[in-house]
Amino acid sequence: MYLMTADASIHTEPTVLLVDDNAQNLKVLYETLKDRGYRLLIANDGEKALALAQRNRPELILLDIMMPGMDGFMVCRQLKANPETADAAVVFLSALDDVDAKVKGFALGGVDYVAKPFQAQEVIARVETHVKVIQLERQLQARNRQLENDQSRILNAISEGIYGLDSTGVIIFANPSAAAMNHSTVEELIGQNFCKLHFSSPCDWSDVSSLPVLATCEQGVAEHQRNVMMRRPDGSLFPAEYRATPKRDGHEILGAVVVFRDITAELARESELEAARRLVQEQREQMAHASRLSTMGEMAAGFAHEVNQPLTAITNYVRVALRLAAADPVDHALLEETLCKIEAQSHRASEVIRRIRGFVRKPASGKEFVGVRHLLEETREFAEVDARNNDIAIDVAVDEHVPDVYADPIQIQQVTLNLIRNALEATRSCGSTDAVDVRARLDEKGMVRIAVRDHGCGLPPDAEEKLFLPFFSTKQDGMGIGLALCRSLVQSQGGEIGFVRQESGGTEFFFTLPVAPAET
Amino acid sequence: MSDTNQTVYVVEDDEAVRDSLALMLRSAGLNVATYSNANAFLSAWNEDMSGCLVLDIRMPGMDGMELQKALNEQHSLLPIIFVTGHGDVPMAVEAMKHGAVDFIQKPYREEELLDKIQSALKQDAEQRHSLQQKQDIVRRVQSLTPREREIMDRMIAGQANKVIAIELDISQRTVEIHRSRVMHKMGTHSLAHLVRMVLSVKDLIDA
Repeated sequence: MYLMTADASIHTEPTVLLVDDNAQNLKVLYETLKDRGYRLLIANDGEKALALAQRNRPELILLDIMMPGMDGFMVCRQLKANPETADAAVVFLSALDDVDAKVKGFALGGVDYVAKPFQAQEVIARVETHVKVIQLERQLQARNRQLENDQSRILNAISEGIYGLDSTGVIIFANPSAAAMNHSTVEELIGQNFCKLHFSSPCDWSDVSSLPVLATCEQGVAEHQRNVMMRRPDGSLFPAEYRATPKRDGHEILGAVVVFRDITAELARESELEAARRLVQEQREQMAHASRLSTMGEMAAGFAHEVNQPLTAITNYVRVALRLAAADPVDHALLEETLCKIEAQSHRASEVIRRIRGFVRKPASGKEFVGVRHLLEETREFAEVDARNNDIAIDVAVDEHVPDVYADPIQIQQVTLNLIRNALEATRSCGSTDAVDVRARLDEKGMVRIAVRDHGCGLPPDAEEKLFLPFFSTKQDGMGIGLALCRSLVQSQGGEIGFVRQESGGTEFFFTLPVAPAET
Repeated sequence: MSDTNQTVYVVEDDEAVRDSLALMLRSAGLNVATYSNANAFLSAWNEDMSGCLVLDIRMPGMDGMELQKALNEQHSLLPIIFVTGHGDVPMAVEAMKHGAVDFIQKPYREEELLDKIQSALKQDAEQRHSLQQKQDIVRRVQSLTPREREIMDRMIAGQANKVIAIELDISQRTVEIHRSRVMHKMGTHSLAHLVRMVLSVKDLIDA
């Protein structure tokens, strides 16, 4: 602003140029208009008038027609021909009071006419009116220019490609980004049909609705597409996302604005992200599997016992059967009974092995509909091995009407087993022999809540912050992996895990699982 | 060789193992009594039980080791064969230190188990026989009069009749009569045998 005030053409008061070859007339005009808030300039011939106009850009020019040399009409014609002076309002002054002159004056771009000898009030009024009009017009133009500048700055700066389409789909506007994405120029794009340019092999040109964006241009239906292949003028393709918005004037559809972008990088990032997600999932499953194997290792002695029992019984029964078979006469009924007992015991042994195999199976089978009661019973049988060692019972109670959950059964069993084994250990280390309670019910949020309660000595006061963190353990020789893994597994099933300190001592650990969606 | 009064007492919590073991031992001609837990056996126990105990070392509630301890406190003489699972050997060694006769690991071969049972039964029979003999000697000693008992102690100490007569201020003839009564009541003709008999129950009769 400071610099601009130094410019001679910038004045706050409007500039009025008085042009007349007659000094007397100029004086009268000057006297009439002075002290009225105008900056007054004076010229006594056409050349000077043009020069002053060029330099000072007056809002209004009072221009005498009859002048020696260059007359008023010629001055006006030249003023209008010069863009710098064309917007000034020209008011003709002349003694000529004939219609032809007036018409000619208007035809040349004059805005008004003042007859000589003029009335001061009339001159003042007309000057005031036209100055105001010109000032407003100039402001409007300045504002317009600013808006246009802003708009084109935005359109140029925006990274999305933007097309303006007419109602037949022909490109009538394209921004620089659109050209860049097409490895082309704005000029090359304008005039081409959007559909034909970008979509090489349309299924059916006759069906308007099947063509990209055309429905927007013709019927005003907004459209959004992602991951469509757009063809460049050079024939190469790129994956794009676009939004087509109809351009309307009232009810009339004028065409569409299409905003689009090249999503190659985005898709690459998405697929990287997806790959990372898969990797995390894979590692979680491997970790879960490793942890199951390690659990099995810890429980191996127990399982050996579980298998040894039926094997011992079978060995004994076989001896009995051999003696029965060698006897004379053979007691067939007793022999048969003994053989049936052998069969039952071999089923018992294979059941233990089936359970172990199921538990260490890899990879995890994925989500399915899981009956909570059955799963918990099976887990209890599994944990029974440890329960026997700790001489602590496991009570399982499942509320009636607990719905099935949608989860990975092995991982749920793994989490439950982990919590039960922790509970057995906590209870035993506290010298209690009270049963560990396993409860399942539907919670307030409509999730299935499975809780395992111990009768241990309770958790340390800072357990809240640390308990589920990896490598934190309250056990002497604990790795601190169990609960961290449990949390990861439960969260991957869409559930939560936590614990509640019991007033009567001990701790209740719980986790929630989403209810299975109704089967269709 | 096994005494028909002897019984193999089986204490085993696993129903199938218990049932099959009982059937097998019975088919081998043994008397068998089964118990599903340690407490059931402990409340059924009395000192007249003869035979041996086949005891599972791991059981819910009172386990095999605890039962052994309780039986020891009651001076039970029943030989115990512990039945152990894989990895229970340290426990079995501990049990042996507390007087168990043997242990066997599941699953076992019948011959092995029967051998161990037979030798346990034999040990039980011998123990019982020697106990009966001692009890017999004690009864005989208790049937002596105080004077006879005094004479016998001096005989065992190696005093000659003459010395005994002088020290007790009785006739040598009287000593001879007492001496013959002692030999008769104790059921022996040999002084050497008498000495062995009395020394074997020394701790029982001095109390």
